[in-house]
Amino acid sequence: MKSTSELTDFYYKNLYPTLKKLDDERKHLRYRIIVIGVLYTLLFFLLFLAFSSPNTLSGDFLAFFAFAYFGLGTFIYKFLIKDYTKEFKNKIIEPLIHAIDEKLTYASEMYLPQHYFNKSELFTSSPDRMSGNDYVKGYIDGVNIEFSDLHAEKKHKDSKGRENWSTIFRGLFIVSEFNKTFHGKTVVIPDTAQNTFGSLIGNWLQSKNLSRDELVKMDDVEFEKEFVVYSNDQIEARYILSHSLMKRLLTFKQKSKHPVYISFIGESIHMAIYYDKDLFEPSVFHSLLDYKIAMEYVKTLHLAIGIVDELKLNQKLWSKR
Amino acid sequence: MPTSLIILAVIVIVLILMYNSLVSKKNQVENIFAGVDAVLKKRYDLIPNLVASVSKYMEHEKSLLTEVTKLRAEANKPNISEHEKIALDAKVTSALGSIMIAVENYPDLKANENVMHLQHSLNEVEEQISAARRAYNQSVTDYNNAIEMIPTNFMATAMNYQRKEVFEIPQTQRENVNVKELFN
Repeated sequence: MKSTSELTDFYYKNLYPTLKKLDDERKHLRYRIIVIGVLYTLLFFLLFLAFSSPNTLSGDFLAFFAFAYFGLGTFIYKFLIKDYTKEFKNKIIEPLIHAIDEKLTYASEMYLPQHYFNKSELFTSSPDRMSGNDYVKGYIDGVNIEFSDLHAEKKHKDSKGRENWSTIFRGLFIVSEFNKTFHGKTVVIPDTAQNTFGSLIGNWLQSKNLSRDELVKMDDVEFEKEFVVYSNDQIEARYILSHSLMKRLLTFKQKSKHPVYISFIGESIHMAIYYDKDLFEPSVFHSLLDYKIAMEYVKTLHLAIGIVDELKLNQKLWSKR
Repeated sequence: MPTSLIILAVIVIVLILMYNSLVSKKNQVENIFAGVDAVLKKRYDLIPNLVASVSKYMEHEKSLLTEVTKLRAEANKPNISEHEKIALDAKVTSALGSIMIAVENYPDLKANENVMHLQHSLNEVEEQISAARRAYNQSVTDYNNAIEMIPTNFMATAMNYQRKEVFEIPQTQRENVNVKELFN
């Protein structure tokens, strides 16, 4: 697999003509967005003045107005950048993915099916709405892998019966074949209890988590600090999480710089990296040639596709061959 | 209700909780040991096959093979204690390691499909055993902590719970045998 520096080279060399063209488009688009944004805000302000009188000026009225302003604004913004986004994905993201491996398939508007998310058991609440994009699927070094951007949300009703949505997960979701055979369920999630309450009370709280299986204490101090493991099979959890895999997961976590959730269920390893934003979207207000922006695309892709090599998923145990 | 009754009730509840937590820790150890036993048995089942396939070739290591067979027979005896099983496991691991290293000296054996198959199976069982050992060690540590730490230690003494021993992770043993044999 190509390294991140090779990919950065590819981004700046092979994609340069396209980038240059797209960046010009971006500047026009930015101008258009600013002009339309100013006009839109002005119009809304006038509307607000026209409708508001001392007896209508309640909290509800203000909330409704703000909601309409942001809702419609987002819609218009998305509409304006639609073509630009599509072009960016087809001409930049897709070639970048193919530069890593030609046989990977990419669909910019699809996302991982919801049953993967539910099956992973990484998050205890089940989502009422799923969205996502940038679906990649393929076969790397003999290992099946697929991933996409996901946004899972849950619906709540407040006391007045109004609907609102809270995010369960937003970020990169990866599903890949695992190199060992197992039958139980093992879930590895970031350790928040132990970090906030210290190890004694934290440990006690973790063992009392009713929505999860049994707590598994791992024999790697660093790993225990970062993660907490739940499983329905104490022995199998350690069979999966060998000392070397724990080290590799720690390195992965440090590389990703975001919370990482991992589960081993069925035949697969599920990984959810909580970026809390939509990835692989074109920047509108910063140059596409900006090194920081380029590195974000390259690094995220490299991280996702690199798990096969990073976690040695290609070193299948003999019975899986 | 008089205060003394409330205090008595609280003491009784605390005692019950302590008792139950100790029992559950002891059962957890036994439970996991059953898992350890199952994978150890898996490995013992591979031994006759292994000995049969390599004995034709291995002239100089006959003593190693008889030792492994003897260890297996010992492990298969009924009613051996956890303590003995742990000791036997360490010996078997070391002896099997030496056999596997010796196999490297016989090109015919190394290429033999049957031996290769056995080698892979052994490697896999070895990984499962290592996981089982780690799980067992953790449960024993929890148990030992409970019977030595205040306040559960008083209860443990009353219940006559004894410290249990953990598995040594036998990494170095293998290498020791290896080096010695190479220079002989």
